[in-house]
Amino acid sequence: MSNSALTLKNVFAGYGGGMVLQGLDLEVRKGSITCIVGPNGAGKSTVFRVISGLLKASEGDVLLAGESIKSLSPAEILENGVTQVPQSRALFPEMSVKENILMGGYLIRKNPKLLKERMAMVEEMIPIVRERASQPAGHLSGGQRRMVEIARTLILDPSLILMDEPSLGLDPKSVALVSELIKRMTKDGRTVLLIEQNVRLGMYLANDGVVMEAGKVRISAPAKDIAGDPEVASMYLGKTK
Amino acid sequence: MEIIQVLSYGILLGGLYSLLSSGLALIFGVLDIVNVAQGAFLVSGAFLTWQIWDLTGIEPILLIPVVALLWFGLGIIIYRTLFVRVAPQGPSMTVLLSFGLALIIEGALNLIFGNKFKSVQTSYSLQSYKLGEINFPAPQVIASLAAAVVLVLLYLYLMLSWAGRALRATAQNRDGAALIGISHRKISSFAYGLGMATAGAGGVLISVSYPIYPATHYEWISKLLGIIVLGGMGSIPGAIIGSMLLGIVEAAGNTYAPQWTILFFYGVIILSLLFKPEGLLGARSRKDSV
Amino acid sequence: MKSLRFTKAKKIAVLFWAILILIPVLLPDSQYEQSLLIVCFLFAIMASGWNILSGLAGYVSLGHSVFLGVGMYTGAILGRETGVFTFYFAPIGMLTAMAFAFLLGSITLRTRSHAFVIITIAILLSVQLIVSNWVELTGGSNGIIFRSPSWARTAGNTPYYYMFLVVLVLTVALVRFIMNARLGAGFISIRDDESKAASIGINTTQYKVIAYCLSAAPYGLVGAIYSQYLGFINPTGSFSILISVYLVLAALVGGKGTLWGPVFGGFFIAFANEASTVFSGGISARVLIMGVVLVFTVMFVPQGLLVSVATMLRKRLAKDKTVEFINQAAIAERDAPLNLNNVKRAPSKAKADSSESILQVKGLYKSFGGVKAVNGVTMDIKRGSITGLIGPNGSGKTTLFNCITGTYGADSGIVIFNGTDITKMQPWTRAHMGMGRTFQITKLFKSMSVLDNLVAPLEKPSARNMLANKMQGEEVERAREILDFMGLSSFEKSNVSALSFGQQKLVEFAQILMLRPDIVMLDEPASGINPTLIERLSKAIKKLNDAGTTFLIVEHNIPLVLGLCDYIHVLSAGEIMVSGTPEEVRNNEAVIEAYLGPDTLLEGLDV
Repeated sequence: MSNSALTLKNVFAGYGGGMVLQGLDLEVRKGSITCIVGPNGAGKSTVFRVISGLLKASEGDVLLAGESIKSLSPAEILENGVTQVPQSRALFPEMSVKENILMGGYLIRKNPKLLKERMAMVEEMIPIVRERASQPAGHLSGGQRRMVEIARTLILDPSLILMDEPSLGLDPKSVALVSELIKRMTKDGRTVLLIEQNVRLGMYLANDGVVMEAGKVRISAPAKDIAGDPEVASMYLGKTK
Repeated sequence: MEIIQVLSYGILLGGLYSLLSSGLALIFGVLDIVNVAQGAFLVSGAFLTWQIWDLTGIEPILLIPVVALLWFGLGIIIYRTLFVRVAPQGPSMTVLLSFGLALIIEGALNLIFGNKFKSVQTSYSLQSYKLGEINFPAPQVIASLAAAVVLVLLYLYLMLSWAGRALRATAQNRDGAALIGISHRKISSFAYGLGMATAGAGGVLISVSYPIYPATHYEWISKLLGIIVLGGMGSIPGAIIGSMLLGIVEAAGNTYAPQWTILFFYGVIILSLLFKPEGLLGARSRKDSV
Repeated sequence: MKSLRFTKAKKIAVLFWAILILIPVLLPDSQYEQSLLIVCFLFAIMASGWNILSGLAGYVSLGHSVFLGVGMYTGAILGRETGVFTFYFAPIGMLTAMAFAFLLGSITLRTRSHAFVIITIAILLSVQLIVSNWVELTGGSNGIIFRSPSWARTAGNTPYYYMFLVVLVLTVALVRFIMNARLGAGFISIRDDESKAASIGINTTQYKVIAYCLSAAPYGLVGAIYSQYLGFINPTGSFSILISVYLVLAALVGGKGTLWGPVFGGFFIAFANEASTVFSGGISARVLIMGVVLVFTVMFVPQGLLVSVATMLRKRLAKDKTVEFINQAAIAERDAPLNLNNVKRAPSKAKADSSESILQVKGLYKSFGGVKAVNGVTMDIKRGSITGLIGPNGSGKTTLFNCITGTYGADSGIVIFNGTDITKMQPWTRAHMGMGRTFQITKLFKSMSVLDNLVAPLEKPSARNMLANKMQGEEVERAREILDFMGLSSFEKSNVSALSFGQQKLVEFAQILMLRPDIVMLDEPASGINPTLIERLSKAIKKLNDAGTTFLIVEHNIPLVLGLCDYIHVLSAGEIMVSGTPEEVRNNEAVIEAYLGPDTLLEGLDV
């Protein structure tokens, strides 16, 4: 009925020092790629911590496909199909690529058949998984790591994937590969929510754009409108003459 | 010939040390706890073996699974009642807690068994095997072989079971493990239990090859800590390499200058740490790189 | 209120010493009690000595009783050779222990944390073995026996009682002196954050060796007396790991890092030890009880008994106090004067030419694993400028900072500061030369007050400066004035962790001004702080710059950088992509791409 994959309503959240999120409202359409941009310190990463349950919202609500997940533990939220690709250091460096991806299926370990099917699916979708299967993850390049990280979350067949700056530290060719993969993922009905510092790249990838400033959503609009908005540019670079 | 004799003694010693130190390395790797109670767990395992042997006359090696399982359960209880509360205060407090446990165990063993040396006498206690001119004392050979078997089982378990994988994953990247749904609380008590189980198995082994006495846990823990610091704290392969190296150093010392053995042992540790403070296979520094 | 409690504490201390001095006089038959108190003194002395290295400087030694053994054997061997009582050699015992500590410390303090702890145990056991085997000098495992003094029959333990008491008084006085001196502040700064300590001019290598020597001194002194008191010594008794355990336990139970905690803990452990011997017969129960005490301490009073009680009392006292409201806007408006002599050194000859460079970086490379964080940076910072360093996340800005200040050694390339090649110099030498830097995530000393943090930097590394009282002299005056200038004077006595993140950033800025720096390097000074404080910060930067201080600023807040700086370097993937005036950088297409993404990906974005 509702077309919303994720809804945040008037969320306040923060750490010891004070509230980082100050009444944040956010709606992510099912099957969309939504990109959050905003200057450093706007609270982008905190939004992810609230969604994945690592930080509890002190006020407001978090709805996943209409159901509140506000009070669930991080593991329960994971079981509900919300996976995350963090900014860096997600893999187990001494394990092989294949083992890393297998570990992604820790929550479905009791069902080896399903795990095997999913593994085949992931191998199909991301060829590097098969090509580098036995190589330790610590020996991969940055771009390869990012692909393996994405592959690892896919094995749980998530409905919502959170990605924190997927382009960070990657060379242009890897960025292109990762971007292409992100677009492909939503073809099967998955929703992707990503954070980018890089406004142009983020809006190129996304259908929907969200601009955050000081713990609130300041603009929420189709991605191409945000890309052209001079106000966004000025938030980063200051007013041009 | 003497060199071969020294090397083979060293490898036997190293084999035993490998098992004893791997539990310590495991606990540090997963939990960031320097478990100085490990020596006391070891010695108390040996006393339990002695007690059962004394009552029943059973072949002690057969007790490995019993003591290991018992110690596994105890480890989980100890972690869940004590360490879980202290862990958030950081490594300097957990090391003290585990030190307190060591003292309590030492005192309790003193009260129960008295301040006397005990040793398990088996049919092979005084025997030795001969290979050409080289002599192998039977208890050391048996202890070392059994240690190797337990270590291989532990290795297979860590490599092939889901629990083992989850342990390794947590040791390599704690946040990454949480990300895929591994509960840190559960895996922590499991790791502590497993580490303590190796001390139980090790205790059985030292009961056949060493005289046992409550205060010897200081000697054991000093040696084992030296080994894992040398090997690189959280790394089990590092612990095995450190064990072999120091086993050979100790065997050489025993042969050529017995009164200086301990000095050689610690001398090697001190020197190598001065040049490589992170240990031979410094796991910590590698962890940061991915 | 505060001064009242202070005198109360002083009164208790005077009473404590008076009772101890009078006990043998008032109770001449108290031989048993005196022997018990001697053990108390011994533990208190050892715990206090240990406290200097492990409590204050944070390097935990588990083999510290090695210095007791050194003192005992020094006294014993000299006594045997000369035929007089060992306690006459107490000062020599002290010097020997200190020399031994100097030797050990110079080598072992290169290691940290676990490795250091293991090495201290290894050294204790190794020395025990050497003493056992060096039979000609030490009598081997048979030990050495001494004749008793003739007064032992009549005077009993009383002379020893006073000898131990004197050493205890001296030890407490020593710890007190250290804690009040800049030296002690240096130790604590090493404990809180060693790399930060180095960056504010503290020669950490030298400080740690000094801490090691000073902490060994009381052991050597009391050791020579203790051996005569025992009448007999052997290697296992003198270099016992159990004594090390007890003394660490004493310091923890009382509260490490405090003046009286280890003294209290020493008494506590000595009494617990005696009680377990008397009531439950022997060593077994004693070890068990010590174990229970330790577990109990860790679980319920992790800071130590004395500290926990003090915190409780303070909380009860603080209940009636109202919380002060601090008007931040008013603080930002207020314009406190600043005597520039307090934040600047005497102008150097080079000052004359303002177009010359103060800092030059040439061909600097630094990589971690396979990642080239700084990939051949060459730049020139002009004296008296405010230079900005911007670039996207992960472009190597902070690594470049760390190479300039010496936190990391560069893989290759050179850094020239004020005309001197500083590439190979230690961070503290760079600080003494006038280089100050702040950190992205502030690195203040968490256990200190704001004022303590300000007086911690060591501008000039002279012995007089290190031994001077940290709360007297011109440093405190300067610190107060700088705090006032930054609008922070109302927080002077607060613990830094009670401050907001933004306020902490200002405190760190104030802290490095104490170095009278020629160049101030700020790493993201404005991130995470509110607009009021940003305004305060820019004002301070401008004012100092007008007076000639050079600034190098890494910052993400581009509008702030563009407004503040005269010149800007843009870093991308470890290399300098563009350099120029704010105007040039603002309109440079490559810069816009680095921040907003490559233009080729998208059409129609008009910046």
